[in-house]
Amino acid sequence: MPDAVSQVATREALRVVGQPVARHDARDKVAAATAYAADWALPGMLHAAVLRSPYPSARIVRLETKRAAAIAGVAIVLTAKDVPRNTLATDVPGQTTAVGPLRATLHVLAEDRVRHQGEPIALVAAETLELAQAAVEAIEIEYEVTPGVFTPEAALAPGAPAVHGTGNQLAQWRIARGDVARALKDAAVVVEGEYTTQLVDAAYLEPESGVAWIDSDGVITIRLSTQVIEHFRDVAEVLQVPQNRVRVIGTYLGGGFGGKEDVTVEAYLGLLALKTGRPVKMVWTRQESLLSRAKRHPYRLRYRTGANANGEIVAQQIELLADAGAYAYLSALVLLYSTVTAAGPYRVANVEVDARVAYTNNPPTSAMRGFGAMQTVFAYESQMDRVARTLGMDPLALRRVNALRRGDTLPVGQVIETHVALPELCEKAWAALGPPAPPRAPHLKVGRGLACNFQPYGRIVWLHDWASAWVGFEMDGSLVVRCGCPDVGGGQASSLCQIAAEVLGVPLTRISVHVSDSALTPLAGTTTASRQLYMSGNAVLKTARELRAPLLRVAATLLGGDADELDMDEGNVTTPDGRTLPIARLLAECARVGVPRSHLGVYHAPAGEPVDLARGSGKVFPDYTFGAHAAEVEVDTETGVVRVLGYAAAHDVGRAINPQSVEGQIQGGAVQGLGYGLMEEVVVEDGINLTTSFATYLIPTAADVPDVRAVVVESGEGLGPFNARGIGEPPIGPPAAAIANAIEDATGARLTRLPITAERVARGLGLLEDAG
Amino acid sequence: MIARLVLNGRPREVEVRPNQTLLELLRDTLGIFDVKEGCDEGVCGVCTALLDGRPVSSCLVLAAGLRGSAVMTLRGLERNGGLHPLQDAFVRHGAVQCGFCTPGMLLTALAFLERQPRPDRTAIRAALEGNLCRCTGYTKIVDAVEAYVREGHA
Amino acid sequence: MYPFEYAAPTTLEEALALLRQHGDEAKVLAGGQSLIPILHYRLARPRVVIDINGLPLGDIVVEDGRIRVGALVRHHQLEESDAIARRCPVLGNAARLIGNVRVRTLGTVGGSLAHADPAAELPAVMTALDARLAVAGPSGRRTLAARDFFTGLLTTALAPDEILTDVEIGALPAHGWAVEEMSRRAGDFAIVAVVALVSLDGRGRVDDARLAFGGVADRPMQARAAEDALRGREPSTDALARAAQIARDALGPPSDAFVSGAYRRHVAGVLCRRALARAVERARR
Repeated sequence: MPDAVSQVATREALRVVGQPVARHDARDKVAAATAYAADWALPGMLHAAVLRSPYPSARIVRLETKRAAAIAGVAIVLTAKDVPRNTLATDVPGQTTAVGPLRATLHVLAEDRVRHQGEPIALVAAETLELAQAAVEAIEIEYEVTPGVFTPEAALAPGAPAVHGTGNQLAQWRIARGDVARALKDAAVVVEGEYTTQLVDAAYLEPESGVAWIDSDGVITIRLSTQVIEHFRDVAEVLQVPQNRVRVIGTYLGGGFGGKEDVTVEAYLGLLALKTGRPVKMVWTRQESLLSRAKRHPYRLRYRTGANANGEIVAQQIELLADAGAYAYLSALVLLYSTVTAAGPYRVANVEVDARVAYTNNPPTSAMRGFGAMQTVFAYESQMDRVARTLGMDPLALRRVNALRRGDTLPVGQVIETHVALPELCEKAWAALGPPAPPRAPHLKVGRGLACNFQPYGRIVWLHDWASAWVGFEMDGSLVVRCGCPDVGGGQASSLCQIAAEVLGVPLTRISVHVSDSALTPLAGTTTASRQLYMSGNAVLKTARELRAPLLRVAATLLGGDADELDMDEGNVTTPDGRTLPIARLLAECARVGVPRSHLGVYHAPAGEPVDLARGSGKVFPDYTFGAHAAEVEVDTETGVVRVLGYAAAHDVGRAINPQSVEGQIQGGAVQGLGYGLMEEVVVEDGINLTTSFATYLIPTAADVPDVRAVVVESGEGLGPFNARGIGEPPIGPPAAAIANAIEDATGARLTRLPITAERVARGLGLLEDAG
Repeated sequence: MIARLVLNGRPREVEVRPNQTLLELLRDTLGIFDVKEGCDEGVCGVCTALLDGRPVSSCLVLAAGLRGSAVMTLRGLERNGGLHPLQDAFVRHGAVQCGFCTPGMLLTALAFLERQPRPDRTAIRAALEGNLCRCTGYTKIVDAVEAYVREGHA
Repeated sequence: MYPFEYAAPTTLEEALALLRQHGDEAKVLAGGQSLIPILHYRLARPRVVIDINGLPLGDIVVEDGRIRVGALVRHHQLEESDAIARRCPVLGNAARLIGNVRVRTLGTVGGSLAHADPAAELPAVMTALDARLAVAGPSGRRTLAARDFFTGLLTTALAPDEILTDVEIGALPAHGWAVEEMSRRAGDFAIVAVVALVSLDGRGRVDDARLAFGGVADRPMQARAAEDALRGREPSTDALARAAQIARDALGPPSDAFVSGAYRRHVAGVLCRRALARAVERARR
């Protein structure tokens, strides 16, 4: 039974928050008035290109750049020796060696070795892109190919070539709770499954792009498409200049999805601008981006799931093995997310997780929407469905029996403190599919599948996350919001305006917002981890409220009565008895009496102590967003082709600040998930990437997917502004499992390897038995 | 070489390199950023322009080959400084997230509606299948085009 | 893109002279939908690009029931041509499946045939239609049957100094047609494509049948044994299934990183059966 909090408990009368307002950036974008990172030219600007390794594992035996540098019109050619600090070292979270924290290194440019195909080796800046590319080709380089490893299994086998100086295991996390061996032995059914997820690319339509220049006060300014403006610190480190001499201006992104979370072009641009003294532009080609940009970790997931006859899941024994590729990037954290979410949004008394990630000479993997909590969904929801089938139980009923509830504890020891709407979400997603599609022909089988998930929002609590914002009135009552929050296209900036409008009663048309400038906007942290609405939204909310209180005290001196009874609406201060004071008048009075009309505020997320995962002792993430998706598919049992006929995605978002934006996130995330489930794969053979074009790396088109019915549930419980929860990542988790479950419903075939291509379905149906 | 074109209604003659594409002519020479660069192989659609009324991948057209053709980019839609009703429909229906695919989607949809003014949702999806979008999942884009048709603008 | 020279001849003679002059340092540019990506990826680096879009090769002419399609006819023109819809609907319908709308705006019949992608629709259709391809070269003109034109992977019988000028499709008796294809994603290259043409005699038996496959070998494949098995027969479900099986068994498609040969072969059989059924259904109307 859904508990009483499934309805919004106390819904204040909100005026702007909760409205599907048109976003301010949408008007600019439809007119192509938004200047993306590549839509920028400066006088004297040079064009940059990168020399990349064609080999996945090799020593650089000879590197000679004189001929390239001598080409007329080439301004400079740089290699590792020209980089002030070429090697960046970071502690790998939670991993130690005998002597201290485990360190991971990253080179700006390759030194004597290359460890993955596409690894950057040299940089060129020239008068034209054509000349820069010609110079790249004129660089003389000889390689000695060395043995590499191309699967995590091979990398962890004894005697495997070391990708870095140490063994190839980058990180390991373990959870052990209860007595899994006994629980499995006593269970009524045990379902064993091995699942494989694939390497995929963010495939944002806007490639990595940026322009850098030295400003008149000597500040190295980099204007680029990024999810993290705080990388100005990394650039400063690389260039060995003070951090306050580097400025990152984040443009409105043409998509991020985690692929623009690491440093991409900024270090190169900073270097080239510094060394040439001229503006420099770098735009990666699609081939470059598909070849070498960090991707989503492929996983092997082994599950043994034990259940009682009544459907209660009593044990999960889980083994995860992920591929970090050639460099660590964020792999250890991604693995942590997988470990914490591996058992799914369910109450399970006995859980063992052994998760490892290994270096290989494959393309590096790092952050991507879902961040490790996505791959596990395919496994745990496939397992749930198989348990349901084995017990003869309805899939929704099985979820209902096991769904987490407030007060339950996750395997890692974290107590769930907010409402879990899972049963309601399952019902609604399933119902939203509508009446079943009539079968069109005997060979076309129709089936339906359900999949649930939970995705953390907000960063790990012991990282002490914070975000700041500045909100201020102009003398005429118009409002400015400044916040360092990058806008990846999900309406991040426009949500801040809605929040400020709600608190300060300023019409949206009278608010201007400036985001994502490391020098000019208060830092708000990364647009990742479904944290931005939670963090910068709360920062703006807090700042606006802190600004409002003293203003209303001044207003009370003008209007009489109690400041607590005054409201701000439509650009006025209003009294309970209907008198109004225009904001501009109030601000003039504030100026007279010395009360500030602007405020800089900081929101600190509730923090916690580091958790030893193996001992299962506490809170890891602030909170989670729960979801349930339902899919209806039609399988052509003669060819294996799968058509998605209908799709519904339900999420509890706490509160929808902008319902239209929330629906858009759900629909977009679901379709990315369908791409992951059905067609996307970066095919790498012995470290060589075979899908370096959009002709071979396939993402869904409008003709491949149906309408996605987004079902938005607002429990009124969430840690974000107005009780919102993060929604950026959650919708990408369930689709692959929903499709796999629907295919089994339609045909009886269980697909365990992604993507679920027509050929794999055909093999699963036994269509190729006689063909060999 | 000289490229001759009628760009958004204005005749232009522009000096171009032999290997210069229409995309490069528009962005690099003329500073028109209505068309974007996404893949250089004609698959993604963000470089879409209308050539004599039909959608083309401007990354695959050599500028030197333009012999007086009409080229339209998004700003060619502007009406007295205001938005074209289809642009307005995109804004109202939440069909724009990162916006990178938007100019190509708009031009392609308009060219399609010229030829098929009363499409259903399936036909709209088929018409837009050559324009990739990574953010919206397409549903609201189809909503916007359908609304535009329903409101009698097509 | 790397630098190259550009020439835009206005007559066939001029174009041929340029080709003769530059030999294999030149490439012919028609629609650009295949060539320009190749130049972007630097898979080919011609010193000279010869833009033939100014040549008068863009007409669709019907004469005595024969259809002559100029090499520069764009795919969308095939889609939209009334003459083709009336006389040879398989051609217009196959063109609708090519690439995306932008490819169909500029891509040309000649370009598609000269590029000879084994998975492309037009080479398979021309093979099924037994079209004759007209080629102009230094020693004058010659025509080749489609089956002799495609000689290997992305390879044709065109000499480096020749240009494909038009394609002629002979007068066809009343026939039913079908094109079935399967791709990894909507609007994508076909994994397998099947073109079927069937004409029936007065008693409803198969008078003639043509079956061509794309995507199953390094060039379009005509399923002659299957065609023979159909001629003179009642086009029953069993007969069609048997023909499809014969066609399928004659194929040994290659595997690549994305799709196995075994799967292509299986799909070819299924699509062949479906294409034959549709063609027969249309023939009966």
